[in-house]
Amino acid sequence: MTTVKPILLAEDNPRDAELALAAMEEHHIADKVVVCHDGAEVLDYLYCRGAYKSRECGNPVVVFLDLKMPKIDGIEVLRTIKNDVNLKPIPVVMLTSSREERDLAQSYALGANAYVVKPVEFQQFISAVKELGVFWGVINEPPPEGTESAA
Amino acid sequence: MAIESATQDPPTTTPSAAPSLSESSPASAQPPPPIQKIGPAWLTAWLAKWSIEQRVLGGFGLVFASIVIISVVSYRNTSVVVKNSRLDSASHELVQLLGSIEEALIAAESGHRRYLVTGDESYLKAHRTIVEQMPEYARYLQALTGPVPEQRERIAQVEQLIKQQLDIEANAIQQRAERGAEAVRQLAMPGVAKRQFDEIHQLIADLENYEQQSARARLLQSTGTTRSTIALLALGAILQLVLLGSVYYFIHHDITNRRRAAAELRRQGELLQAANKELEAFSYSVSHDLRAPLRHIDGYAALLSKTAGPSLNDKAQRYLQTISESAKQMGQLIDDLLVFSRMGRQEMLRSTVNLNQLVKTVIHDLRLDLQGRTISWTIGSLPDVPGDPAMLRQVFMNLISNAVKFTATRPTPRIEIGGTRQFPGEVTIFVRDNGVGFDMQYVNKLFGVFQRLHRNDEFEGTGIGLANVRRIIHRHGGRTWAEGKIDQGATFYLSLPVKRTVS
Repeated sequence: MTTVKPILLAEDNPRDAELALAAMEEHHIADKVVVCHDGAEVLDYLYCRGAYKSRECGNPVVVFLDLKMPKIDGIEVLRTIKNDVNLKPIPVVMLTSSREERDLAQSYALGANAYVVKPVEFQQFISAVKELGVFWGVINEPPPEGTESAA
Repeated sequence: MAIESATQDPPTTTPSAAPSLSESSPASAQPPPPIQKIGPAWLTAWLAKWSIEQRVLGGFGLVFASIVIISVVSYRNTSVVVKNSRLDSASHELVQLLGSIEEALIAAESGHRRYLVTGDESYLKAHRTIVEQMPEYARYLQALTGPVPEQRERIAQVEQLIKQQLDIEANAIQQRAERGAEAVRQLAMPGVAKRQFDEIHQLIADLENYEQQSARARLLQSTGTTRSTIALLALGAILQLVLLGSVYYFIHHDITNRRRAAAELRRQGELLQAANKELEAFSYSVSHDLRAPLRHIDGYAALLSKTAGPSLNDKAQRYLQTISESAKQMGQLIDDLLVFSRMGRQEMLRSTVNLNQLVKTVIHDLRLDLQGRTISWTIGSLPDVPGDPAMLRQVFMNLISNAVKFTATRPTPRIEIGGTRQFPGEVTIFVRDNGVGFDMQYVNKLFGVFQRLHRNDEFEGTGIGLANVRRIIHRHGGRTWAEGKIDQGATFYLSLPVKRTVS
């Protein structure tokens, strides 16, 4: 593990993205964050295609996934990730405004690793994002590269 | 997504209504049912009062009654015809018997005259035969004559006269045998008992005549009753056909209506489902989209405060603070509204809830909000009630946290929770506090959405808690009400049906 593995933030709203980055900035992990603005871009990144054709391949340490995104929504992206043997080990954290039971149930059913509702209050939001970033990006040990799913 | 399980009552009927046709004017009393017109308005309205079962039973009852009536009348008519035919044959036999007797009498009479003249005993054969047979003839006559006194009298007369005649003849025969032809010469020529003989003839003719007349009358009667029987049977058949036809029609009519109503209900259900889906989508987007800008407002205000904070004066700092607080408040409003909307849609669980346990848990969960305050709790024994545990928990959470909130200014806050069983089939639970209370004038506003009786700087809140309480209790089939007085506390009541424990 020579290179620092990135945190992938899928967030269509640039303000939310900026606030999230501001939060991570406080813990100096903002430079690890790659922001994608829709589901299609997330998949492009994960499959190293399109705009990310030339990137150094490798899975991110965690994916923060918004549910409601243009083109391909969060649920679809989650489904694709968890159905792909190579992408399946990536921890996926749903980071969304929705508290709807249906979304929660569906996300967990598809294999989401965590589900976080974005708090309205900025202080809470900051601490939530920070904690998430630190936990998944620093504390949590990601699965070794190239692990074939045991399932 | 819960559609309230309101049972769709079938078009109810009033079983107490008297089944008389005289009730012909309920058209105004009964709102015209939305059914296809099948006759005059009053008939339609009258019919609408009867359930399909009652209509069918009524129809079949009429058919049955008409069958019974027709059967009884036909039986009576037929037995009249049968009786007449029996009388006819008796009468016929009587006439024949009379004929035979007359013939025998004539033979005997002429035979005895010849004997008187000739003295040849072979001429007496007919006389002897009739004398011998007369008792039997008499018995037959008695048997064949009906109960008509007129006829019986005539028969008795005939018997009497025959007896007289035969006696006179026998007398003459005896004289001839003892004293010879000369003694009876005068008698032989005109014949003895000429008077009786003629009378007998006359009586027999009368008897026959009478029998013929009554036979003719009977024939007329039989023809009449037969004709009326046939007419009655035909009428009955038509009536039954009509009745059965109308029963069929009404059943068919009813079924058609029910089918239409069912189709309409299904359509409404689909519409409702679509509307519910739309509502869900709406609340989803409220949940998701409305929160984002609030987050941004608060977030950027915080960022601004952080980056430019030191250079801002107190006024500007306070403005930023207000922006943040408003955003948070709106976030809270949205959250509460979503909970409220969910309470109306969410599928209800049906289980038995131990309210004692539930209240204990709620108070335990609220201890953080108490912030070290001491409250004197009085908790009575609460019943187990049928209901949704999560929803009822929300109810008590709201009521008890309200009580906690509104007693905050009291030096010795007291909260009492208890249950009573005032009416059969339901329990009443109350939550009483000695808090700030309220003016009974506004009691109707208490349970409304976003209705608040206090300013936000007095007591914070969004005004959705009691609306939620009312909605949940209504969904359980219960009621909510409140009593209060300014500065003297408030009592919130709720009643819940407990059908299972009350038989």
